[in-house]
Amino acid sequence: MTRPSPFSVRGRRALMVMRDEREISIVRRQLSRLGMTIAEHDPAEAPPDENADVVVMDADSIPIKSDLATAWKAGAPIIALIGTETPSRLKWLLDLQPASFLVKPLQSAGLYTALVVAFDSAQRRIDETAHLERLEDRIRSRRVVFAAVLQIMRAHDLSESDAFRLIRQTAMRHRTTIEQLSAEIIAAGGMPNRTSWTA
Amino acid sequence: MMAGEMRKSALMAIDEVNRSDEFDFTFTPHLRDPGGVVAAYHTACDDLIREEQVDHIVGCYTSASRKQVIPIVERTERLLWHPARYEGFESSDNVIYVGAAPNHNVVPLVRHMLDQVSSDVFCIGSNYVWTWETNRVIREIVTSAGGRILAERLLELGETAVDHIVREIIDRKPPAVFNTLVGESSYVFVRALHEAMIRARLTIPMLSCSLCEPELKLIGPAASVGYITSSAYFESIERPENRAFVARWKAGHGADSSPSVDGLSTYVCVMLLARAIRRAGSTDVGAVRRAAANHRYDSPQGPVWVDPDNNHCFLTPRLARSVPGCQFKIFWEADAPVRPDPYLSNLDLTAVGTRLERSNDAMTKRSSHLRIVK
Repeated sequence: MTRPSPFSVRGRRALMVMRDEREISIVRRQLSRLGMTIAEHDPAEAPPDENADVVVMDADSIPIKSDLATAWKAGAPIIALIGTETPSRLKWLLDLQPASFLVKPLQSAGLYTALVVAFDSAQRRIDETAHLERLEDRIRSRRVVFAAVLQIMRAHDLSESDAFRLIRQTAMRHRTTIEQLSAEIIAAGGMPNRTSWTA
Repeated sequence: MMAGEMRKSALMAIDEVNRSDEFDFTFTPHLRDPGGVVAAYHTACDDLIREEQVDHIVGCYTSASRKQVIPIVERTERLLWHPARYEGFESSDNVIYVGAAPNHNVVPLVRHMLDQVSSDVFCIGSNYVWTWETNRVIREIVTSAGGRILAERLLELGETAVDHIVREIIDRKPPAVFNTLVGESSYVFVRALHEAMIRARLTIPMLSCSLCEPELKLIGPAASVGYITSSAYFESIERPENRAFVARWKAGHGADSSPSVDGLSTYVCVMLLARAIRRAGSTDVGAVRRAAANHRYDSPQGPVWVDPDNNHCFLTPRLARSVPGCQFKIFWEADAPVRPDPYLSNLDLTAVGTRLERSNDAMTKRSSHLRIVK
Protein backbone atom coordinates (compact mmCIF):
# COMPACT_ATOMS: atom_id res chain seq x y z
CA MET A 1 0.00 0.00 0.00
CA THR A 2 1.41 3.39 -0.90
CA ARG A 3 1.13 5.92 1.83
CA PRO A 4 -0.61 9.21 1.12
CA SER A 5 1.80 12.10 1.24
CA PRO A 6 1.12 14.38 4.19
CA PHE A 7 1.33 17.29 1.75
CA SER A 8 -1.65 16.14 -0.31
CA VAL A 9 -4.75 17.01 1.62
CA ARG A 10 -7.26 17.22 -1.23
CA GLY A 11 -10.16 14.85 -0.78
CA ARG A 12 -9.40 14.05 2.83
CA ARG A 13 -12.20 14.38 5.34
CA ALA A 14 -12.02 16.98 8.11
CA LEU A 15 -14.37 17.06 11.08
CA MET A 16 -14.76 20.45 12.76
CA VAL A 17 -15.56 20.19 16.45
CA MET A 18 -15.93 23.87 17.18
CA ARG A 19 -18.33 26.34 18.72
CA ASP A 20 -17.40 29.85 17.64
CA GLU A 21 -19.12 30.83 14.36
CA ARG A 22 -16.33 33.19 13.31
CA GLU A 23 -13.65 30.57 13.84
CA ILE A 24 -15.76 27.98 12.08
CA SER A 25 -16.05 30.22 9.03
CA ILE A 26 -12.28 30.81 8.92
CA VAL A 27 -11.47 27.08 9.14
CA ARG A 28 -14.24 26.15 6.71
CA ARG A 29 -12.97 28.62 4.10
CA GLN A 30 -9.41 27.32 4.32
CA LEU A 31 -10.42 23.67 4.27
CA SER A 32 -12.56 24.31 1.19
CA ARG A 33 -9.68 26.06 -0.55
CA LEU A 34 -7.57 22.97 0.13
CA GLY A 35 -10.24 20.74 -1.41
CA MET A 36 -11.06 18.85 1.74
CA THR A 37 -14.44 17.37 2.64
CA ILE A 38 -15.89 19.12 5.68
CA ALA A 39 -18.26 17.97 8.38
CA GLU A 40 -19.25 19.65 11.62
CA HIS A 41 -19.86 18.13 15.02
CA ASP A 42 -21.24 19.58 18.26
CA PRO A 43 -18.45 19.67 20.92
CA ALA A 44 -21.02 18.78 23.57
CA GLU A 45 -21.72 15.43 21.88
CA ALA A 46 -19.70 12.21 21.93
CA PRO A 47 -17.57 11.52 18.83
CA PRO A 48 -19.58 10.41 15.77
CA ASP A 49 -19.28 6.93 14.31
CA GLU A 50 -18.27 7.89 10.78
CA ASN A 51 -14.57 8.21 10.14
CA ALA A 52 -12.70 11.43 9.53
CA ASP A 53 -9.08 11.77 8.43
CA VAL A 54 -8.46 14.69 10.77
CA VAL A 55 -10.37 16.40 13.58
CA VAL A 56 -10.09 20.17 14.05
CA MET A 57 -11.06 20.67 17.68
CA ASP A 58 -11.55 23.88 19.67
CA ALA A 59 -9.85 22.85 22.93
CA ASP A 60 -11.81 25.46 24.88
CA SER A 61 -15.15 24.00 23.80
CA ILE A 62 -14.97 20.84 25.89
CA PRO A 63 -15.02 21.03 29.70
CA ILE A 64 -11.83 19.76 31.34
CA LYS A 65 -13.69 17.49 33.71
CA SER A 66 -15.54 15.39 31.18
CA ASP A 67 -15.08 11.95 29.67
CA LEU A 68 -15.37 13.18 26.10
CA ALA A 69 -11.62 13.67 25.69
CA THR A 70 -10.78 9.98 26.01
CA ALA A 71 -13.46 9.13 23.44
CA TRP A 72 -11.82 11.45 20.91
CA LYS A 73 -8.34 10.16 21.63
CA ALA A 74 -8.91 6.82 19.94
CA GLY A 75 -9.90 8.31 16.60
CA ALA A 76 -8.43 10.43 13.83
CA PRO A 77 -5.47 12.77 14.43
CA ILE A 78 -6.53 15.92 16.23
CA ILE A 79 -5.56 19.51 15.49
CA ALA A 80 -6.18 21.41 18.70
CA LEU A 81 -7.19 25.06 18.56
CA ILE A 82 -5.77 26.63 21.70
CA GLY A 83 -7.13 29.76 23.36
CA THR A 84 -6.55 29.23 27.05
CA GLU A 85 -2.96 28.47 27.97
CA THR A 86 -3.53 27.59 31.61
CA PRO A 87 -1.65 24.48 32.75
CA SER A 88 -4.95 22.83 33.75
CA ARG A 89 -6.17 23.13 30.13
CA LEU A 90 -2.80 22.12 28.66
CA LYS A 91 -2.69 19.03 30.87
CA TRP A 92 -6.10 18.04 29.46
CA LEU A 93 -4.76 18.67 25.98
CA LEU A 94 -1.66 16.52 26.50
CA ASP A 95 -3.90 13.64 27.56
CA LEU A 96 -5.68 14.03 24.22
CA GLN A 97 -2.36 13.62 22.36
CA PRO A 98 -3.07 16.15 19.61
CA ALA A 99 -1.16 15.58 16.37
CA SER A 100 -0.68 19.33 15.94
CA PHE A 101 -2.18 22.58 17.11
CA LEU A 102 -3.01 26.16 16.20
CA VAL A 103 -3.11 29.08 18.59
CA LYS A 104 -6.16 31.34 18.48
CA PRO A 105 -7.05 33.87 17.16
CA LEU A 106 -7.15 31.94 13.91
CA GLN A 107 -6.07 33.40 10.60
CA SER A 108 -5.93 32.07 7.08
CA ALA A 109 -2.24 31.15 7.40
CA GLY A 110 -1.20 28.21 9.52
CA LEU A 111 -3.98 25.71 8.95
CA TYR A 112 -2.20 23.98 6.07
CA THR A 113 0.94 23.56 8.17
CA ALA A 114 -1.15 22.17 11.01
CA LEU A 115 -2.79 19.68 8.61
CA VAL A 116 0.52 18.52 7.14
CA VAL A 117 2.07 18.11 10.58
CA ALA A 118 -1.04 16.25 11.78
CA PHE A 119 -1.06 13.82 8.82
CA ASP A 120 2.69 13.28 9.08
CA SER A 121 2.73 12.70 12.82
CA ALA A 122 -0.32 10.43 12.58
CA GLN A 123 1.52 8.31 9.96
CA ARG A 124 4.64 8.28 12.13
CA ARG A 125 2.54 7.19 15.07
CA ILE A 126 1.12 4.29 13.04
CA ASP A 127 4.62 3.29 11.87
CA GLU A 128 6.02 3.49 15.37
CA THR A 129 3.17 1.46 16.81
CA ALA A 130 3.74 -1.25 14.21
CA HIS A 131 7.48 -1.21 14.89
CA LEU A 132 6.84 -1.51 18.63
CA GLU A 133 4.50 -4.41 18.06
CA ARG A 134 7.18 -6.22 16.05
CA LEU A 135 9.73 -5.64 18.78
CA GLU A 136 7.33 -6.80 21.47
CA ASP A 137 6.60 -9.97 19.44
CA ARG A 138 10.29 -10.69 19.31
CA ILE A 139 10.68 -10.14 23.03
CA ARG A 140 7.74 -12.43 23.71
CA SER A 141 9.29 -15.15 21.48
CA ARG A 142 12.65 -15.01 23.22
CA ARG A 143 11.50 -17.81 25.51
CA VAL A 144 10.61 -19.90 22.46
CA VAL A 145 14.00 -19.27 20.85
CA PHE A 146 15.73 -20.15 24.10
CA ALA A 147 13.78 -23.40 24.40
CA ALA A 148 14.61 -24.29 20.75
CA VAL A 149 18.30 -23.62 21.34
CA LEU A 150 18.26 -25.93 24.36
CA GLN A 151 16.55 -28.66 22.35
CA ILE A 152 19.10 -28.46 19.51
CA MET A 153 21.98 -28.38 22.04
CA ARG A 154 20.72 -31.60 23.61
CA ALA A 155 19.72 -33.37 20.36
CA HIS A 156 23.00 -32.63 18.52
CA ASP A 157 25.33 -32.19 21.48
CA LEU A 158 26.22 -28.66 20.47
CA SER A 159 27.36 -25.64 22.42
CA GLU A 160 24.84 -22.84 22.87
CA SER A 161 26.47 -20.60 20.28
CA ASP A 162 26.71 -23.43 17.75
CA ALA A 163 23.06 -24.39 18.31
CA PHE A 164 21.98 -20.82 17.82
CA ARG A 165 24.12 -20.46 14.69
CA LEU A 166 22.52 -23.62 13.25
CA ILE A 167 19.03 -22.27 13.91
CA ARG A 168 19.90 -18.88 12.41
CA GLN A 169 21.47 -20.38 9.28
CA THR A 170 18.54 -22.76 8.80
CA ALA A 171 16.06 -19.94 9.22
CA MET A 172 17.95 -17.81 6.67
CA ARG A 173 18.15 -20.65 4.20
CA HIS A 174 14.42 -21.24 4.45
CA ARG A 175 13.59 -17.54 4.45
CA THR A 176 11.81 -17.54 7.74
CA THR A 177 12.51 -15.86 11.06
CA ILE A 178 14.46 -17.33 13.93
CA GLU A 179 11.33 -16.98 16.05
CA GLN A 180 9.17 -18.86 13.54
CA LEU A 181 11.70 -21.66 13.09
CA SER A 182 12.10 -21.94 16.87
CA ALA A 183 8.36 -22.45 17.23
CA GLU A 184 8.56 -25.18 14.55
CA ILE A 185 11.46 -26.85 16.32
CA ILE A 186 9.51 -27.02 19.56
CA ALA A 187 6.37 -28.26 17.80
CA ALA A 188 8.31 -30.96 15.90
CA GLY A 189 10.50 -31.93 18.85
CA GLY A 190 13.60 -31.23 16.75
CA MET A 191 14.70 -29.59 13.51
CA PRO A 192 11.61 -29.94 11.24
CA ASN A 193 11.69 -31.98 8.06
CA ARG A 194 13.30 -29.67 5.52
CA THR A 195 11.55 -31.07 2.50
CA SER A 196 8.25 -29.72 3.76
CA TRP A 197 9.68 -26.20 3.65
CA THR A 198 9.19 -23.94 0.74
CA ALA A 199 12.65 -22.86 -0.14
CA MET B 1 -24.57 41.71 39.09
CA MET B 2 -20.86 42.31 38.51
CA ALA B 3 -21.37 43.97 35.14
CA GLY B 4 -23.64 46.55 36.76
CA GLU B 5 -21.17 47.20 39.58
CA MET B 6 -18.36 47.65 37.07
CA ARG B 7 -20.36 50.01 34.86
CA LYS B 8 -21.37 52.16 37.86
CA SER B 9 -17.74 52.36 38.95
CA ALA B 10 -16.47 53.23 35.48
CA LEU B 11 -19.03 56.01 35.11
CA MET B 12 -18.17 57.32 38.58
CA ALA B 13 -14.49 57.52 37.65
CA ILE B 14 -15.28 59.16 34.31
CA ASP B 15 -17.43 61.73 36.09
CA GLU B 16 -14.63 62.47 38.56
CA VAL B 17 -12.07 62.84 35.77
CA ASN B 18 -14.38 65.15 33.83
CA ARG B 19 -15.01 67.38 36.82
CA SER B 20 -11.40 67.44 38.00
CA ASP B 21 -9.04 70.34 37.32
CA GLU B 22 -6.18 67.86 37.26
CA PHE B 23 -7.10 66.73 33.77
CA ASP B 24 -7.35 69.12 30.84
CA PHE B 25 -9.54 66.71 28.87
CA THR B 26 -12.83 64.93 29.38
CA PHE B 27 -13.91 61.36 28.67
CA THR B 28 -16.95 60.57 26.58
CA PRO B 29 -18.19 57.09 27.54
CA HIS B 30 -19.61 54.84 24.82
CA LEU B 31 -21.49 52.02 26.50
CA ARG B 32 -22.10 48.58 25.08
CA ASP B 33 -23.69 45.70 26.94
CA PRO B 34 -23.07 42.26 25.37
CA GLY B 35 -24.97 40.88 28.35
CA GLY B 36 -22.60 38.01 29.00
CA VAL B 37 -23.24 36.46 25.56
CA VAL B 38 -19.69 35.48 24.62
CA ALA B 39 -19.93 35.95 20.85
CA ALA B 40 -21.52 39.40 21.32
CA TYR B 41 -18.31 40.81 22.83
CA HIS B 42 -16.54 40.59 19.51
CA THR B 43 -19.35 42.46 17.77
CA ALA B 44 -19.66 45.09 20.51
CA CYS B 45 -15.93 45.73 20.52
CA ASP B 46 -15.74 45.84 16.74
CA ASP B 47 -18.58 48.36 16.74
CA LEU B 48 -16.89 50.55 19.37
CA ILE B 49 -13.71 50.70 17.33
CA ARG B 50 -15.27 51.10 13.86
CA GLU B 51 -18.27 53.29 14.63
CA GLU B 52 -17.21 55.24 17.70
CA GLN B 53 -13.47 55.25 16.91
CA VAL B 54 -12.57 54.55 20.53
CA ASP B 55 -8.90 53.92 21.35
CA HIS B 56 -9.39 52.51 24.83
CA ILE B 57 -11.92 49.95 26.02
CA VAL B 58 -12.62 49.30 29.70
CA GLY B 59 -14.39 46.08 30.56
CA CYS B 60 -14.87 42.31 30.27
CA TYR B 61 -15.49 40.30 33.40
CA THR B 62 -15.04 36.70 32.24
CA SER B 63 -12.02 35.24 30.49
CA ALA B 64 -14.24 33.96 27.69
CA SER B 65 -15.32 37.51 26.87
CA ARG B 66 -11.77 38.85 27.12
CA LYS B 67 -10.56 36.18 24.67
CA GLN B 68 -13.19 37.44 22.21
CA VAL B 69 -11.96 41.00 22.45
CA ILE B 70 -8.20 40.44 22.39
CA PRO B 71 -7.93 39.57 18.65
CA ILE B 72 -9.63 42.84 17.71
CA VAL B 73 -7.63 45.10 20.00
CA GLU B 74 -4.44 43.41 18.84
CA ARG B 75 -5.33 43.73 15.17
CA THR B 76 -6.44 47.34 15.42
CA GLU B 77 -3.80 48.35 17.99
CA ARG B 78 -6.23 49.44 20.71
CA LEU B 79 -5.96 48.94 24.47
CA LEU B 80 -8.33 46.86 26.61
CA TRP B 81 -8.28 47.86 30.29
CA HIS B 82 -9.32 44.67 32.04
CA PRO B 83 -10.56 45.07 35.64
CA ALA B 84 -11.33 41.52 36.76
CA ARG B 85 -9.07 39.13 38.60
CA TYR B 86 -8.46 36.09 36.46
CA GLU B 87 -6.57 32.79 36.31
CA GLY B 88 -3.41 34.13 34.62
CA PHE B 89 -1.35 32.56 31.82
CA GLU B 90 -1.93 35.38 29.40
CA SER B 91 -0.06 38.56 28.55
CA SER B 92 -1.16 40.65 25.58
CA ASP B 93 0.53 43.90 24.59
CA ASN B 94 -2.93 45.29 23.98
CA VAL B 95 -4.40 44.55 27.38
CA ILE B 96 -3.69 46.29 30.68
CA TYR B 97 -4.56 43.75 33.37
CA VAL B 98 -5.70 45.73 36.42
CA GLY B 99 -7.29 42.85 38.36
CA ALA B 100 -5.38 40.46 40.57
CA ALA B 101 -3.05 37.88 39.03
CA PRO B 102 -3.05 34.40 40.63
CA ASN B 103 -0.01 35.26 42.76
CA HIS B 104 -1.98 38.16 44.30
CA ASN B 105 -5.13 36.21 44.87
CA VAL B 106 -4.98 32.43 45.17
CA VAL B 107 -1.45 31.91 46.40
CA PRO B 108 -1.65 34.04 49.61
CA LEU B 109 -4.93 32.39 50.57
CA VAL B 110 -3.61 28.85 50.10
CA ARG B 111 -0.48 29.75 52.07
CA HIS B 112 -2.63 31.09 54.87
CA MET B 113 -4.72 27.94 54.81
CA LEU B 114 -1.62 25.76 55.11
CA ASP B 115 -0.10 27.93 57.85
CA GLN B 116 -3.18 28.53 59.96
CA VAL B 117 -6.11 26.32 59.02
CA SER B 118 -5.42 22.93 57.53
CA SER B 119 -3.32 21.12 54.98
CA ASP B 120 -6.28 18.99 53.87
CA VAL B 121 -9.08 20.68 51.97
CA PHE B 122 -12.40 19.99 50.26
CA CYS B 123 -12.76 21.99 47.03
CA ILE B 124 -16.03 23.03 45.44
CA GLY B 125 -16.29 25.28 42.41
CA SER B 126 -18.03 26.18 39.18
CA ASN B 127 -17.19 24.05 36.16
CA TYR B 128 -15.17 26.55 34.12
CA VAL B 129 -11.65 27.79 33.50
CA TRP B 130 -11.21 29.92 36.62
CA THR B 131 -12.05 27.04 38.98
CA TRP B 132 -10.06 24.50 36.97
CA GLU B 133 -6.94 26.61 37.12
CA THR B 134 -7.45 27.80 40.71
CA ASN B 135 -7.93 24.20 41.81
CA ARG B 136 -4.77 23.20 39.97
CA VAL B 137 -2.79 25.86 41.84
CA ILE B 138 -4.36 24.81 45.16
CA ARG B 139 -3.54 21.18 44.45
CA GLU B 140 0.05 21.97 43.49
CA ILE B 141 0.73 24.03 46.60
CA VAL B 142 -1.18 21.79 49.00
CA THR B 143 0.36 18.52 47.82
CA SER B 144 3.88 19.95 47.78
CA ALA B 145 3.32 20.88 51.43
CA GLY B 146 2.25 17.31 52.18
CA GLY B 147 -1.48 18.08 52.33
CA ARG B 148 -4.36 16.45 50.49
CA ILE B 149 -7.23 17.49 48.24
CA LEU B 150 -10.05 15.57 49.90
CA ALA B 151 -12.50 16.19 47.05
CA GLU B 152 -12.96 18.36 44.00
CA ARG B 153 -16.66 18.92 43.31
CA LEU B 154 -17.80 20.97 40.33
CA LEU B 155 -21.20 22.50 39.54
CA GLU B 156 -22.25 23.83 36.16
CA LEU B 157 -22.40 27.64 36.00
CA GLY B 158 -25.72 28.80 37.44
CA GLU B 159 -26.52 25.38 38.98
CA THR B 160 -28.30 25.73 42.32
CA ALA B 161 -28.83 22.05 43.23
CA VAL B 162 -26.19 21.93 45.96
CA ASP B 163 -27.75 19.67 48.58
CA HIS B 164 -25.78 16.54 47.67
CA ILE B 165 -22.49 18.38 48.12
CA VAL B 166 -23.59 20.03 51.35
CA ARG B 167 -24.57 16.58 52.63
CA GLU B 168 -21.19 15.16 51.64
CA ILE B 169 -19.38 17.97 53.47
CA ILE B 170 -21.44 17.47 56.64
CA ASP B 171 -20.82 13.70 56.47
CA ARG B 172 -17.09 13.93 55.86
CA LYS B 173 -16.40 16.97 58.07
CA PRO B 174 -13.35 18.22 56.14
CA PRO B 175 -11.02 20.56 58.09
CA ALA B 176 -11.47 23.25 55.40
CA VAL B 177 -13.74 24.01 52.42
CA PHE B 178 -12.35 26.01 49.51
CA ASN B 179 -15.18 27.62 47.54
CA THR B 180 -14.57 28.77 43.95
CA LEU B 181 -18.23 28.80 42.96
CA VAL B 182 -19.40 31.98 41.27
CA GLY B 183 -22.71 33.85 41.15
CA GLU B 184 -26.00 32.30 42.26
CA SER B 185 -24.44 28.82 42.74
CA SER B 186 -22.15 30.28 45.37
CA TYR B 187 -24.86 32.18 47.24
CA VAL B 188 -27.15 29.16 47.40
CA PHE B 189 -24.29 26.90 48.48
CA VAL B 190 -23.05 29.25 51.21
CA ARG B 191 -26.57 29.57 52.65
CA ALA B 192 -27.23 25.82 52.50
CA LEU B 193 -23.90 24.89 54.08
CA HIS B 194 -24.44 27.49 56.81
CA GLU B 195 -27.82 26.02 57.74
CA ALA B 196 -26.52 22.46 57.60
CA MET B 197 -23.57 23.30 59.84
CA ILE B 198 -25.90 24.87 62.42
CA ARG B 199 -28.11 21.76 62.37
CA ALA B 200 -25.09 19.48 62.71
CA ARG B 201 -23.42 21.77 65.29
CA LEU B 202 -20.33 21.92 63.11
CA THR B 203 -17.92 24.73 62.34
CA ILE B 204 -15.87 24.15 59.21
CA PRO B 205 -13.47 26.91 58.08
CA MET B 206 -14.44 28.21 54.65
CA LEU B 207 -12.21 29.98 52.15
CA SER B 208 -12.94 32.04 49.05
CA CYS B 209 -10.88 34.13 46.69
CA SER B 210 -13.79 35.90 45.06
CA LEU B 211 -16.46 36.95 47.56
CA CYS B 212 -17.08 40.70 47.80
CA GLU B 213 -19.28 42.91 49.99
CA PRO B 214 -22.31 43.16 47.66
CA GLU B 215 -22.29 39.35 47.45
CA LEU B 216 -22.27 39.03 51.25
CA LYS B 217 -25.48 41.07 51.17
CA LEU B 218 -27.00 38.77 48.57
CA ILE B 219 -26.06 35.73 50.67
CA GLY B 220 -27.58 37.23 53.80
CA PRO B 221 -26.28 38.68 57.07
CA ALA B 222 -26.02 35.41 58.99
CA ALA B 223 -24.81 32.90 56.41
CA SER B 224 -22.16 35.23 55.00
CA VAL B 225 -20.16 35.46 58.24
CA GLY B 226 -16.82 33.72 58.71
CA TYR B 227 -15.44 33.38 55.19
CA ILE B 228 -11.67 33.72 54.94
CA THR B 229 -11.30 35.71 51.74
CA SER B 230 -8.45 36.88 49.56
CA SER B 231 -8.72 40.11 47.60
CA ALA B 232 -6.76 43.17 46.57
CA TYR B 233 -9.63 45.35 47.76
CA PHE B 234 -12.05 45.41 50.68
CA GLU B 235 -14.40 48.25 51.57
CA SER B 236 -12.86 48.27 55.05
CA ILE B 237 -9.36 49.31 53.93
CA GLU B 238 -8.28 52.10 56.28
CA ARG B 239 -6.63 54.47 53.86
CA PRO B 240 -7.67 58.09 53.42
CA GLU B 241 -8.07 57.48 49.67
CA ASN B 242 -10.45 54.61 50.40
CA ARG B 243 -12.48 56.36 53.11
CA ALA B 244 -13.02 59.23 50.66
CA PHE B 245 -13.86 56.79 47.85
CA VAL B 246 -16.37 54.88 49.98
CA ALA B 247 -17.99 58.18 51.06
CA ARG B 248 -18.33 59.25 47.42
CA TRP B 249 -19.67 55.81 46.49
CA LYS B 250 -22.33 55.89 49.21
CA ALA B 251 -23.26 59.47 48.30
CA GLY B 252 -23.81 58.33 44.73
CA HIS B 253 -25.35 54.90 45.22
CA GLY B 254 -26.99 54.98 48.63
CA ALA B 255 -25.74 54.65 52.21
CA ASP B 256 -26.62 50.95 52.20
CA SER B 257 -24.64 50.09 49.08
CA SER B 258 -21.08 48.85 49.06
CA PRO B 259 -18.35 49.05 46.45
CA SER B 260 -16.82 45.74 45.34
CA VAL B 261 -13.34 44.66 44.30
CA ASP B 262 -14.32 44.37 40.64
CA GLY B 263 -16.08 47.74 40.72
CA LEU B 264 -13.14 49.41 42.40
CA SER B 265 -10.81 47.78 39.92
CA THR B 266 -12.87 49.24 37.06
CA TYR B 267 -12.60 52.65 38.72
CA VAL B 268 -8.82 52.14 38.92
CA CYS B 269 -8.75 51.22 35.20
CA VAL B 270 -10.30 54.57 34.25
CA MET B 271 -8.02 56.48 36.62
CA LEU B 272 -4.88 54.72 35.34
CA LEU B 273 -6.00 55.48 31.79
CA ALA B 274 -6.69 59.17 32.57
CA ARG B 275 -3.32 59.60 34.26
CA ALA B 276 -1.49 57.84 31.44
CA ILE B 277 -3.19 60.05 28.84
CA ARG B 278 -2.28 63.14 30.84
CA ARG B 279 1.33 61.96 31.10
CA ALA B 280 1.51 61.02 27.42
CA GLY B 281 -0.24 64.17 26.23
CA SER B 282 -2.19 62.02 23.79
CA THR B 283 -4.61 59.10 23.57
CA ASP B 284 -2.29 57.27 21.17
CA VAL B 285 -2.15 53.66 22.31
CA GLY B 286 1.63 53.29 22.14
CA ALA B 287 2.21 56.57 23.99
CA VAL B 288 -0.42 55.75 26.64
CA ARG B 289 1.03 52.29 27.19
CA ARG B 290 4.50 53.74 27.70
CA ALA B 291 3.14 56.46 29.99
CA ALA B 292 1.20 53.96 32.09
CA ALA B 293 4.27 51.81 32.72
CA ASN B 294 5.54 52.21 36.29
CA HIS B 295 3.38 55.33 36.80
CA ARG B 296 2.22 55.02 40.40
CA TYR B 297 -1.38 55.86 41.32
CA ASP B 298 -2.37 56.09 45.00
CA SER B 299 -5.73 54.41 44.56
CA PRO B 300 -8.35 53.49 47.19
CA GLN B 301 -6.77 50.02 47.29
CA GLY B 302 -3.29 51.46 47.78
CA PRO B 303 -0.52 52.21 45.31
CA VAL B 304 -1.11 50.61 41.91
CA TRP B 305 1.12 50.70 38.86
CA VAL B 306 1.55 48.78 35.61
CA ASP B 307 4.48 46.39 35.29
CA PRO B 308 5.63 46.92 31.69
CA ASP B 309 7.15 43.42 31.64
CA ASN B 310 3.71 41.81 31.42
CA ASN B 311 1.11 44.64 31.46
CA HIS B 312 -0.32 43.40 34.75
CA CYS B 313 -0.45 45.61 37.85
CA PHE B 314 1.45 45.77 41.10
CA LEU B 315 -1.27 45.25 43.73
CA THR B 316 -1.40 44.71 47.49
CA PRO B 317 -2.80 41.27 48.38
CA ARG B 318 -5.00 41.16 51.47
CA LEU B 319 -6.73 38.49 53.52
CA ALA B 320 -9.88 39.16 55.51
CA ARG B 321 -12.65 37.42 57.36
CA SER B 322 -16.28 38.25 56.66
CA VAL B 323 -17.96 39.63 59.78
CA PRO B 324 -21.54 40.56 60.73
CA GLY B 325 -22.80 43.53 58.78
CA CYS B 326 -21.72 42.09 55.40
CA GLN B 327 -18.23 43.50 55.76
CA PHE B 328 -14.71 42.10 55.78
CA LYS B 329 -12.23 42.50 58.61
CA ILE B 330 -8.74 42.54 57.17
CA PHE B 331 -6.23 40.48 59.17
CA TRP B 332 -3.26 40.45 56.81
CA GLU B 333 -1.87 42.50 53.99
CA ALA B 334 1.41 42.40 52.09
CA ASP B 335 4.08 44.85 53.24
CA ALA B 336 4.18 46.49 49.83
CA PRO B 337 2.52 46.15 46.43
CA VAL B 338 3.48 42.79 44.93
CA ARG B 339 4.88 42.33 41.43
CA PRO B 340 2.34 40.54 39.21
CA ASP B 341 3.31 37.00 38.21
CA PRO B 342 0.65 35.91 35.68
CA TYR B 343 2.49 32.70 34.78
CA LEU B 344 3.35 31.89 38.41
CA SER B 345 6.96 31.65 37.21
CA ASN B 346 8.24 32.75 40.60
CA LEU B 347 6.11 30.46 42.72
CA ASP B 348 8.61 28.61 44.87
CA LEU B 349 6.87 25.49 46.11
CA THR B 350 9.78 24.51 48.34
CA ALA B 351 9.19 27.69 50.33
CA VAL B 352 5.58 26.84 51.06
CA GLY B 353 6.48 24.80 54.08
CA THR B 354 5.72 21.36 55.35
CA ARG B 355 2.59 19.72 56.56
CA LEU B 356 0.84 21.57 59.36
CA GLU B 357 1.46 19.96 62.71
CA ARG B 358 -1.63 18.70 64.46
CA SER B 359 -0.69 20.55 67.65
CA ASN B 360 -1.73 24.09 68.46
CA ASP B 361 1.59 25.68 67.71
CA ALA B 362 0.30 27.14 64.47
CA MET B 363 0.95 30.68 65.67
CA THR B 364 4.65 30.00 66.07
CA LYS B 365 4.77 28.75 62.49
CA ARG B 366 3.59 32.08 61.11
CA SER B 367 5.74 32.94 58.11
CA SER B 368 7.93 35.99 58.30
CA HIS B 369 6.31 37.52 55.21
CA LEU B 370 3.01 37.86 57.05
CA ARG B 371 2.21 41.07 58.86
CA ILE B 372 -0.70 41.66 61.20
CA VAL B 373 -2.79 44.76 60.51
CA LYS B 374 -5.11 46.17 63.15
